[in-house]
Amino acid sequence: MQLPSLSIAGLTAPFPLIQGGMSIRVSTSALAAPVANNGGIGVIGGSAIPTEELKADIRKAKENSNGIIAVNIMYAMKDFYDLVMASIDARVDMIITGAGFSRDIFKIGRQHNMPIVMIVSTPGLAKLAERLGASAVIAEAKEAGGHLGTNKPLREIFPAIRKVIRKIPLIAAGGITNGYEMAEMMDKYGADGVQIASRFILSEECDVADEYKQAYLKAKKEDIVLTSSPVGMPGRALNNPFVQKLNAGEDVSTKQCLWNCLKKCDHRYCISERLKIARAGNVKEGLLFSGENMFKMDSILPVAEIFRRFKKQAESVYKEGIGFKPQPGIDDEDNGAT
Amino acid sequence: MAIEQKMIDIIAEQLSVDKEKVVSGASFTDDLGADSLDLVELIMAMEEGFDIEIPDEDAESITTVQNAIDYVKKLK
Repeated sequence: MQLPSLSIAGLTAPFPLIQGGMSIRVSTSALAAPVANNGGIGVIGGSAIPTEELKADIRKAKENSNGIIAVNIMYAMKDFYDLVMASIDARVDMIITGAGFSRDIFKIGRQHNMPIVMIVSTPGLAKLAERLGASAVIAEAKEAGGHLGTNKPLREIFPAIRKVIRKIPLIAAGGITNGYEMAEMMDKYGADGVQIASRFILSEECDVADEYKQAYLKAKKEDIVLTSSPVGMPGRALNNPFVQKLNAGEDVSTKQCLWNCLKKCDHRYCISERLKIARAGNVKEGLLFSGENMFKMDSILPVAEIFRRFKKQAESVYKEGIGFKPQPGIDDEDNGAT
Repeated sequence: MAIEQKMIDIIAEQLSVDKEKVVSGASFTDDLGADSLDLVELIMAMEEGFDIEIPDEDAESITTVQNAIDYVKKLK
């Protein structure tokens, strides 16, 4: 059966999929625009880039698409408010935030008629976000890449959050790799949509060095590990030489703070620098944030093809009462690839 | 004295801890076991209890019982 559309604060995405924001400069307008054009919500990673660059990229994404363009800004950023105001100035359609809990953002949202979407991992914060005026909530579990707010799996945290979020859309995030799982989260668990990030790194449009994509493409299950972020949260990433050194307790710090980017930084390493060099192709010494199920994806596809597969797979099982397993005939032409 | 006592009452109630534990140097997270939700709710309880508004930036700097008391005293 066809999936329902996703409406957040009066904005409707024909296909209920939000592309997860990935900083630094992993999800840019190059990715967000085609996602929006394919009916999803395209999200620019808005953390740790200059406000002028963010504004220009939002404008570019809006010019190149006719769908919904959002920005994801971590609350942990020192210039959080400047990035928020720059996004509003550039007329982004909605602001997604997480990694800490801002209350002021809801006031700003009300003042500027800007929908605010909060990423949380617990029912308590979800409920609070709704009470303060969130337009939607994203429930993100431990299978996600990047900064993590919980060590519990999606199918464990989601029902309790669903129970408390009744008035606004609730989006499931963390480890979803294909349309079958998307249908499962929406049908069996009652999600109004899903957020997918890692899958889109392996898209043709994702504007990063080829070495970066190849590193994800080659990753096996055991290559995706937990590590720590100087933000003070755990993070999930590819286990490259840098992460091995970090996890072994070796000194990987930078001698001086180059970017002054976080409100609170433990300075164990420079996350800005590590993310930037990774994106540029230094996959040994950079930091490559990754979802837990990245290893299941085995091809770089155009964004349109990723959407086509998700849709076809999801609709083959959504509300069909036949479970959420791959269906005969559906994946034949794709070799079951996700 | 009034501010101190009221603050201790608010903190003890919000974090469900004994008032004796709410000493001036106590950290909300390290000593009184507050998680991220508790912290936000605690700040909101302070706003309500003292009829003040605490922006994010100030809220982040309020990490101990003494911080909270000093903050409210400065405003009153």
